[in-house]
Amino acid sequence: MNEELLIYSTYTVLLINLIVYSYSFFRKGKANVFFVSYLAFCFTMQFSMELCYHLGMTNLIFVNMFFIGQMILLGIFYNSLTQIKSQKIFIKISLTIALLVLAIQFYIDSSEFFKFNLFEITLTNLLIVIYALFHFYNMLTENKSYYYTTVGLVFYLLASTVLYLIGNFSLGLSSELKYLTWILNAFLILIYQFFILYDWIKSFYKSSVNLKS
Amino acid sequence: MNTHSIPEKELVAIILYISLFFIIVAVVLIIFFYFSRKKIIQKELEKKDLVLQYQKEQLHAIIVTQEEERKRIAQDLHDDISSKLNIVSLNTHLLSAPNLTEAETIEITDNIINLTAKALENSRKIAHNLLPPVFEKFGLNAGVEELCEEFESSKSVKTYYKNEIDFDDNIDRHLHIFRILQELMNNSLRHGKATEIWIAFKDNNGINTCYYEDNGIGFDSKNSENQKGLGMKNIDSRVSFLNGTIKIDSEINKGIAVIFTF
Repeated sequence: MNEELLIYSTYTVLLINLIVYSYSFFRKGKANVFFVSYLAFCFTMQFSMELCYHLGMTNLIFVNMFFIGQMILLGIFYNSLTQIKSQKIFIKISLTIALLVLAIQFYIDSSEFFKFNLFEITLTNLLIVIYALFHFYNMLTENKSYYYTTVGLVFYLLASTVLYLIGNFSLGLSSELKYLTWILNAFLILIYQFFILYDWIKSFYKSSVNLKS
Repeated sequence: MNTHSIPEKELVAIILYISLFFIIVAVVLIIFFYFSRKKIIQKELEKKDLVLQYQKEQLHAIIVTQEEERKRIAQDLHDDISSKLNIVSLNTHLLSAPNLTEAETIEITDNIINLTAKALENSRKIAHNLLPPVFEKFGLNAGVEELCEEFESSKSVKTYYKNEIDFDDNIDRHLHIFRILQELMNNSLRHGKATEIWIAFKDNNGINTCYYEDNGIGFDSKNSENQKGLGMKNIDSRVSFLNGTIKIDSEINKGIAVIFTF
């Protein structure tokens, strides 16, 4: 019961984030288009996974799709935020190479994509952490934009990557221990989503109120 | 009952990937801190450069004002004293000439007496302009009073002066205030063509405040070009010496109103 409450509250916060960021994007033209698409993508993925779960299907293919999509969208998102040419080139090249490598892996052994693909998880999450650190570096002397989102993202990725990496391992554990890791993961996602919401309140809510008055 | 047994290979792979992940994250973090430090230090250096630049500019302004003041004093000395003493010296040479009549001697001596009197008066005026003795002996209040009198007598302007503060005898601070008022009054006459000037010292809840107003032609105080003159810079730096604030309000044809605290 408690687990379900936790999981559904993450969905709710994610939905709220999607709504408020889309509002900022469509009405004010302010929020970053790639970030809004990332939130929409997250929501679609969560919804499909939930649907699979209820239909009794395995949803691991969606987990792997989620990781790849997350890497692509956040990569483009940080690429659009940075103004430094060398960083833009690095992001583009690393994204292409990563996708290429994953495509080769899929070609060689597509069964990896129906369980927790360790290589893919490590690669995608590492790249996002690196992009996020780029953004931190750029924010040292400039105005903060998407600061709390990036803080939340790095926090979430560092913690959850380990949880995903032991995913295959936890499948074999007894059901009580098995769910413990996923409850922890849901909790981490909830915190991450709250960071995103807080970021919106900090940087978009105030300006929209100011515009009205 | 746990039916799945985890293959050893899988376990090793998991551990390897986890440690790989953390190793790379650690390396990336170290690189990140290295570059961040570098960036922050560079920014700090830029800031220091800016401060140095500002100090240089201030020094430059001080030197320029000093030179201008010297030029002014030199001109005063040359025009008002040297020229007169020159004539005195010529006249004394004439006195030593042979075969002078009584009347000529009297005329020459009269000339000399007149000219020396004028030179004396002028030197007194110059010294007075540099630092009024009244200000030095009797303090700011008397100094400003005398300044007003001087302006009224010599420059056809009506002044209204009111003081509600008991000044202590911190002559260094008061000299700054005196100079600010001097500069403002000179500006009012020279640029503003004012005919009436109001000066008031008031105690605003423990903050000493000076109100200055004139009825001259004024200027557009929103135009920042008008605030970059040497005189204005001088007033600004004097106010900052006094740890005070200054507010200048002016509109074209509506005179100027200056409020500063000290």
